[in-house]
Amino acid sequence: MRIQVRRTGGFAGIERRAEIETSGLRDAGDWRELAERAMADGADTPSAGVPDGYHYVITFDDDRTVHCADPGLTDAQRALISRVLKEGA
Amino acid sequence: MNTIAPVFCTIVPPHVLDKLAQAEDPRLSGPARRTLEVDSAHRTRRRITGLRAVASPTAAATGNPHRTIHDCEHRTALPGKKVRGEGDEPGRDATVNRAYSGLGATFELLLSAYGRDSLDGAGLPLVASVHYDEGYANAFWDGDQMVFGDGDGEVFLDFTLPVDVIGHELSHGLTQYTANLDYQGQSGALNESVSDVFGSLVKQYTLDQTADRADWLIGAGLLAPGVSGEALRSMKAPGTAYDDDVLGKDPQPATMDDFVRTSQDNGGVHINSGIPNHAFYLLAVELGGKAWERAGQLWFDVLTGGELAADAQFTDFARLTVAAARARFGDGAELEAVTKAWSQVGVPTA
Repeated sequence: MRIQVRRTGGFAGIERRAEIETSGLRDAGDWRELAERAMADGADTPSAGVPDGYHYVITFDDDRTVHCADPGLTDAQRALISRVLKEGA
Repeated sequence: MNTIAPVFCTIVPPHVLDKLAQAEDPRLSGPARRTLEVDSAHRTRRRITGLRAVASPTAAATGNPHRTIHDCEHRTALPGKKVRGEGDEPGRDATVNRAYSGLGATFELLLSAYGRDSLDGAGLPLVASVHYDEGYANAFWDGDQMVFGDGDGEVFLDFTLPVDVIGHELSHGLTQYTANLDYQGQSGALNESVSDVFGSLVKQYTLDQTADRADWLIGAGLLAPGVSGEALRSMKAPGTAYDDDVLGKDPQPATMDDFVRTSQDNGGVHINSGIPNHAFYLLAVELGGKAWERAGQLWFDVLTGGELAADAQFTDFARLTVAAARARFGDGAELEAVTKAWSQVGVPTA
């Protein structure tokens, strides 16, 4: 599974992107499970968010895209975004 | 007491006082602690002095701040555990102390310079949460309170470090309770700019600086060592705050010629804010003296005056500042300076 995260907004207004291809990874199953939970609670369209809050767009396999924004992330969304930004390229 | 307080009162930022108050050396901690204790007495005096200069205070200026700082303990549930309430002594956590002091500085500017009792004009309690999430490199206003992350340590440090960042976040609350500018496109960039303007004014007020002495930077001291940049935004020279391998280059325009059209960042609210930011800077420097007095007063008048629409564009805001200059100062230097400032950034006022 290819997971892309794009983070925009924030106090600095600096965009950040990262992506990871999980197939072949030892913990690919964990990734898939986390991605499915994050996807389930995501919105189809961007929300207004809050002043200086981050907006996130997560895309799965170039197929499904979900939107979420601080501070309203679910635990799964936060964990997934954090992992992709940290471990992805 | 009076022989010590003036030394610390206007020159040393409150957060430095908080730090000094914790110093082990009694020569440092004694005076600083006493200054913090007498601070409220001074505030009352300055408030009275300040009010005389204000033609029409917008609120009965009888308020004192009601601050509460919470610690999220690196989790994301808000507001988190209460760690400091109004009047409590500074504790060991410098982040908590900085947030508390920054809230106080913002409250004091609003009250003493503009006669406004907190964000809503009715003594709204000020709430901040610190240590949000793990290594969270951001700060935001959630509609009810401020939230600060510790930064990732690699690019961004603790978001409570610059007092203008604290003032910026609180000013989002001020905007919410007044013009409530839509956080999208030009009105969103105005919303951001108003926060930068009053954030910078909080810093200048705290340091008792005149416009020509101010750094006009937003987020100075926030970038980690090794990052090529001095801050996140420059009102004096938008587009020059940073130029770094990781962060990229500061994308802010200074004039309408370089207005950025983008669907990102709510239509570039943190980018195009450079234009009204620069107009304010030009006005403040042209007028000279303390920027919060005349230039800040005009911006405050427009924000709180009831005529600024939620979907206002730059030209709407600019025209209202011209009207405010005429209403408050007549056909004088202020009117000429504000018209010229907008003209220099390419925003028409006629």
